Amino acid sequence: MAPGLIALCAALICAVAAGVLLRYRNGRMRSVRAAPVPFRPDAVRSGDQADGATTAVPEARRLTSADLGRPLGEQATLIQFSSAFCAPCRATRRVLAEVAGMVDGVAHVEIDAESRLELVRRLGVLKTPTVFVTDSAGRIVKRASGQPRKPDVLAALGEAISINPIGKDASDISVRPA
Amino acid sequence: MEIDPRGPRFGALITMVMFAVVLITGSVWVLAFQALCFAVGTFLGLTRSPYGMIYRFLVRPRLGPPGELEAEAPPRFAQAVGLVISIIGIVGYGVGLTPLGMAAAAAGLVAAVLNGVFGLCLGCEMYLAIRRTWPGLAGADRN
Repeated sequence: MAPGLIALCAALICAVAAGVLLRYRNGRMRSVRAAPVPFRPDAVRSGDQADGATTAVPEARRLTSADLGRPLGEQATLIQFSSAFCAPCRATRRVLAEVAGMVDGVAHVEIDAESRLELVRRLGVLKTPTVFVTDSAGRIVKRASGQPRKPDVLAALGEAISINPIGKDASDISVRPA
Repeated sequence: MEIDPRGPRFGALITMVMFAVVLITGSVWVLAFQALCFAVGTFLGLTRSPYGMIYRFLVRPRLGPPGELEAEAPPRFAQAVGLVISIIGIVGYGVGLTPLGMAAAAAGLVAAVLNGVFGLCLGCEMYLAIRRTWPGLAGADRN
């Protein structure tokens, strides 16, 4: 078999394999491996007050209201890193805004990656859009690289809200029909 | 400037075929033509590149309007990346370093398949990564 033909077949196989894998991973919500956090019911309140209790959570897995420049959501926060020249960022903004509107106490924050490079490096943001779902204390519960699907965002939100036992129980969560 | 995002993908499908032909035939001339197409796309813009013209006049009229537009800069940078890869291939085939030529054509083929078939533009991602790593180099604003 001519070497060119072999190279062609090899390249096609690699390309298709890479394409399928990257498409599968794009926008998929994945869990952030949680560092063990000692349970301190007296100290854990909102993110910016709890620095003492949350030092066990690495900076790379937590976002504070100081980072965001605005308060965290009462129940959870959806954080989106966007950039210029990013069509999926627009679509992601729509999806997250819709979901934030459906569930009480969920904030939607959009960050321009190019103007917050220190955050980009700290959190390992490699492309835009990248979406982080945090609980009420700013701990990152799920992240997605690429535009996430609405059901996946809702599922991640459910996890973020149920994880933090402080102050709210499941009956407090109200979801307005879309 | 904003363009129909399906245009570059169509161009990538033709590019895919071209690189495949290069690999099968080892023809420097086919590769040179592909390099020329990349050069036009890079320096004169995507709408004026040969494949872009084919898309505009033959394909697009048969499709509906695009759902969304995309910025031209990232795919145009991707054309420049393709141009560099093609030049490497031309050098490889030209001086008799066929493995180098084939490696370059294979790399171009992989990128073209990812773009045309899967909609993943590697050159675009490189452009955005450069903007993040070296703000100001590719026209990014520092806040």
